[in-house]
Amino acid sequence: MDLVLQLLFTGIGIGAVYALVALGFVLIFRATNVVNFAQGEFSMVAAFLMVVFAVDLGWPYWLSFLLALAGMALLGAIFNLGVYYPLRHRTFLPVIIATIGASILLTNSMLAIYGPQPQVLEGWFETPGIQLGPVYLDSQYLLIIAVTIVLVAFNYWFFEHTMLGKKLQATSQDKEMASLLGISVSTMIMITFIYSAVLGGLAGILVAPILFVSIQMGSTIALKAFAATIIGGFGDVAGAIIGGLALGIIETFGAAYVSVPYKDGFAFLVLVAFLVFRPQGIFGERVAEKA
Amino acid sequence: MKLTRRDFTAGLTAAGITAPFIVGSARSQAATTKIGMCVPVTGPAAEQGLWAQNGAKLALAAVNKAGGVLGKQVELVIEDDQTTNPGIVLAFSKLAAQPDIVGFLGSIRSTQVHAMAPDVLKLGKPVMIGGTDPALTHMGNPWLFRFRPNDSYSGRVIADFGANTLGKKKWAIVHSTDAFGTAGGKALAAALEKIGTPAVLDQGYPNQSQDFTPVVLAVKQSGADILGTYFTFENDLGIFARQLRQLGVNVPWVGSPSVVAVSSTKLAGPALYGTYGVADYAEQSSDASKAFGKAYRETYKTAPDIQSSWTYDAITVLSAAINKAGSTDPAKIREAILSLKKFPGAEGEYNFDQNGDGLHGYNVVRNEKGAIVFDKHIEFDD
Repeated sequence: MDLVLQLLFTGIGIGAVYALVALGFVLIFRATNVVNFAQGEFSMVAAFLMVVFAVDLGWPYWLSFLLALAGMALLGAIFNLGVYYPLRHRTFLPVIIATIGASILLTNSMLAIYGPQPQVLEGWFETPGIQLGPVYLDSQYLLIIAVTIVLVAFNYWFFEHTMLGKKLQATSQDKEMASLLGISVSTMIMITFIYSAVLGGLAGILVAPILFVSIQMGSTIALKAFAATIIGGFGDVAGAIIGGLALGIIETFGAAYVSVPYKDGFAFLVLVAFLVFRPQGIFGERVAEKA
Repeated sequence: MKLTRRDFTAGLTAAGITAPFIVGSARSQAATTKIGMCVPVTGPAAEQGLWAQNGAKLALAAVNKAGGVLGKQVELVIEDDQTTNPGIVLAFSKLAAQPDIVGFLGSIRSTQVHAMAPDVLKLGKPVMIGGTDPALTHMGNPWLFRFRPNDSYSGRVIADFGANTLGKKKWAIVHSTDAFGTAGGKALAAALEKIGTPAVLDQGYPNQSQDFTPVVLAVKQSGADILGTYFTFENDLGIFARQLRQLGVNVPWVGSPSVVAVSSTKLAGPALYGTYGVADYAEQSSDASKAFGKAYRETYKTAPDIQSSWTYDAITVLSAAINKAGSTDPAKIREAILSLKKFPGAEGEYNFDQNGDGLHGYNVVRNEKGAIVFDKHIEFDD
């Protein structure tokens, strides 16, 4: 039982990281109908910004955190203007290729600046974790789980109970109709990119003390987050959260009870099963209907 | 005489054809002996490539100060291998096209040495290498000479040190599932079988794992009293080390060189204190190692590591062998290298066997609160 509880805690912690990045995928997909393959790199860039502010410059952690998120908001805006906006009237394919290009550019830019060696970023808390009976609770994982819960609540309130959230939803459902109702579609898309970049960055900053800060960290997380998005249902916020958590738990228990080397295989086995038997995911609508 | 366009073209063509021969002839009369070096100048290992060049240049300066080779100064001709297999094949072909290069330095990466090996065999000139795949010197290529102990020795040294020095019998092996980790894990498992203490756990993991909780819990449940590891990437090792300590596993740990790599000690911090690792280069292991360390620090104002120590030894040994051979004839240089016994180098004492392996043991080093200190050297005579 001790083993199960320890694995469950770790699985939820890892799953929460996937969920945060998956949330960014979903929001951009809802607003633009394209998958942003640079979403993982947003996490990586934010973690490096934290290294610059908190480690290299020695600024207070909270200030570095706010500046890193502000930097991500700026990156989100630049990303929208430089990658999405010029191609907004084209089919989804050029936009997806552009996001892949942007992902390569961001990765190699950080490689050129920081080199291939991983960097250390200390966690928010001085205590690495607490022993609760037989289970060790890593303080950083506890923080990640807490932030995920808060963000789920925030997203629900924001999208369902604020005018801006409703405008964003309207834009994602039908751009032409939203435009006819006086909603500035380009502004809504800009806000979506900024929010998604901040969310991706938040995931990167939270996970950096556990995984270290490296140029590969974004792509490693993004691949799983992408799978989580499909499992949960592309375009569904609750689906991204459930998909991420499910993926984290499945791969942790699969590794412990079946095989560690095939750990990644379990996650993608579930993904393939969903693509075959329920391509719209747990909560999602059919892709054909969306188009 | 009127110069027609046809005459002008013919003249240019003639000059174009003869120029390389004239230049080549002039080169052959040059007053230097040339050694070619394939090294990453670009690509992900460019930084390590710079350290490799530093080691080679330091040795070159010492050789030239002592009179050079066969009365001539030695010159290093560098080509970028781009940290890729096609890159090193191209780099080596450029160097091989220069007839006045008498010997070469290849790569520290086994995969790159495998890529260039067919061309080395065709050229028939000595190439010094740092790749540790045992197969490299056992595939019928007489021109490859290795300046690091091959991987078959690391498993034996880890097993020997854990069993005989630390007195532990219940081993858990954790290794990456890539080529390096699998080969290392197998070598350690075989060495443990041989000394009568088979591992109680042999656990592989995929590279770039974000979480090692299942692996750590498997180690904990196995009841092992010692841990042997082959990690490929330092960030994986850092995550594993932290989780290992957090989940209360504090058994002795003897690992492959990555356990004591500078970046691992930086990433894992106190989680790696007290661990042991096998290392090719340990500054305090011999007088020659100390001398290299001192010279390197004085010249480059930083500590040397394996990337620079093997190239330092390669240049030193190749130069000594050419002097011993009294000729730049490849067959005579080969004979001279293989005849070198008890030759002191930065990495240890070189005793070349007929396969071209110069080193037959490893140093064991210890992480002493973040500082890597020499513990002992374990040598095999086979």
